[in-house]
Amino acid sequence: MKGRVNLDSFPTDLITEIFSRLPAKSVGRFRSLSKLWRVMLHRPYFTKLFLSRSSARPRLLFAVERESEWCFFSLPQHHNPYDKSSLVVAAEVHTKFSKDTKRYTCSYASGLIYFPDMSICNPITGQSLAKLRKYRKSISFLGFDPIGKQFKVLASDRHRVMTLGTGEMSWRKIQCPFPYEFFIHESWGKGICINGVLYYLVCTYVDATRVNRIVCFDVRSEKFNFIDGKGFWETNLINYKGKLGGIDWKHDVDSNTLELCVWVLEDVEKQEWSKKVYTLPENEVVRNFSVLGMTNTGEIILSEMYTSKTFYVFYFNPESNTLRSVEIQGFGENRGRVYAFVDHVEDLNFLKIES
Amino acid sequence: MSKSEKKIVLKSLDNEAFEVEKAVALQSQTIWVMCEDKCVGNEIPLENVTGQILAKVIDYCKKHAVVDGDGDESSEELKNWDTEFTKNMDQSTLFNMILAANYLNIKSLLNLTCQAVADKTKTIDEFHTFLNIENNFTPEEEAQICQENLWAFDD
Repeated sequence: MKGRVNLDSFPTDLITEIFSRLPAKSVGRFRSLSKLWRVMLHRPYFTKLFLSRSSARPRLLFAVERESEWCFFSLPQHHNPYDKSSLVVAAEVHTKFSKDTKRYTCSYASGLIYFPDMSICNPITGQSLAKLRKYRKSISFLGFDPIGKQFKVLASDRHRVMTLGTGEMSWRKIQCPFPYEFFIHESWGKGICINGVLYYLVCTYVDATRVNRIVCFDVRSEKFNFIDGKGFWETNLINYKGKLGGIDWKHDVDSNTLELCVWVLEDVEKQEWSKKVYTLPENEVVRNFSVLGMTNTGEIILSEMYTSKTFYVFYFNPESNTLRSVEIQGFGENRGRVYAFVDHVEDLNFLKIES
Repeated sequence: MSKSEKKIVLKSLDNEAFEVEKAVALQSQTIWVMCEDKCVGNEIPLENVTGQILAKVIDYCKKHAVVDGDGDESSEELKNWDTEFTKNMDQSTLFNMILAANYLNIKSLLNLTCQAVADKTKTIDEFHTFLNIENNFTPEEEAQICQENLWAFDD
């Protein structure tokens, strides 16, 4: 054809640009494209570029718990609300892990999944680590220090910490200035790690009065701080644009309305919280759901708790008071409990966690 | 500034001429540098871009020249326009748009078109075909790579 540009000599750096925008799973597959690309897609230059692109388009990560296994799925977090066709989205299928009584729930930090039996897995590559046996009866958390780029496990009630992946891993005792023995409600045992600080709820009794506290554990310095836990009980801790937030909800059966109460820790030093209450627009499908968190554009994401023939994720925009539902396909029809996590960033280097 | 100074003529590889506002054309860093250096007159020959592709690039630049700097609401509208813009382009057009955006040095268009190809291209075979990348592995080597990256192949 006259004037046609020849694609045979498409520059390698432009192909790299395209590949850096693929999901991690496609990158893994495209390593079999040719000998050149097998090498290129392993290079630090590429994995760094991939991480920066993937941070700009975070994903939702789903962990579906069924009788004997955990299955992982992911999909892009952002869907163009004006693009009608995207209201039904197919989830990308990742790996499966065996389940047992000690893996009854899971939590998340920077790309990795953490089970209460102190095992850690990479849901994308399937690699796992299960060597941390010693304090496994302790309620423990996985945190990530973004400056030192290190994962640490905190055995909260034993005041022990372990850094992952660096030579010989061993537990270290750390100082905890909290004077009382505290308890963690089972449904609280998730915690959230925001910019290198791990937050989780505890309660204790001071002179026979129950007192809620939020523990702030700085993953890098390994220092504890405690702040007033407000009236948080079954509150979901969330990342509110880099600040700690909490979301409670109330379902009014009579009026069939759902009220979300959003707390934000505006000032850590002064322990100042702001509180806003939103009533969701009527929607026929929002029923049994959990709060996942918030997007960087300020939308609150809810998801159904169980898979069934249809499965929905909801995006609530508090500013415009609009609710969008997105149907997710690919979870399978067998009933399963769904745990989901926002802002999942795929990092090809996390695939290298030593096991 | 007289009317003619505000306009600029872009000439494609296949000799198609496009008269556009200077502000529209200057989103291309390449054209901006050419104009700064005064190494060209009012007519700029673009030897790497066909008329068919250049017309689309100009559409993009017109849209972005008008809306840029108009605040948040329009940026949402612009995003939707971008989505529509690439939605119905076939792969060959998209690859040619990437080449054009790269040559003309229009970063946002390069970003948009690279992401569109990444979103649309699902299989290895598509890349083998479109970019004429030869699979130079032996079947044994290929099996080994699949084994190394089993997580990516296991559906």
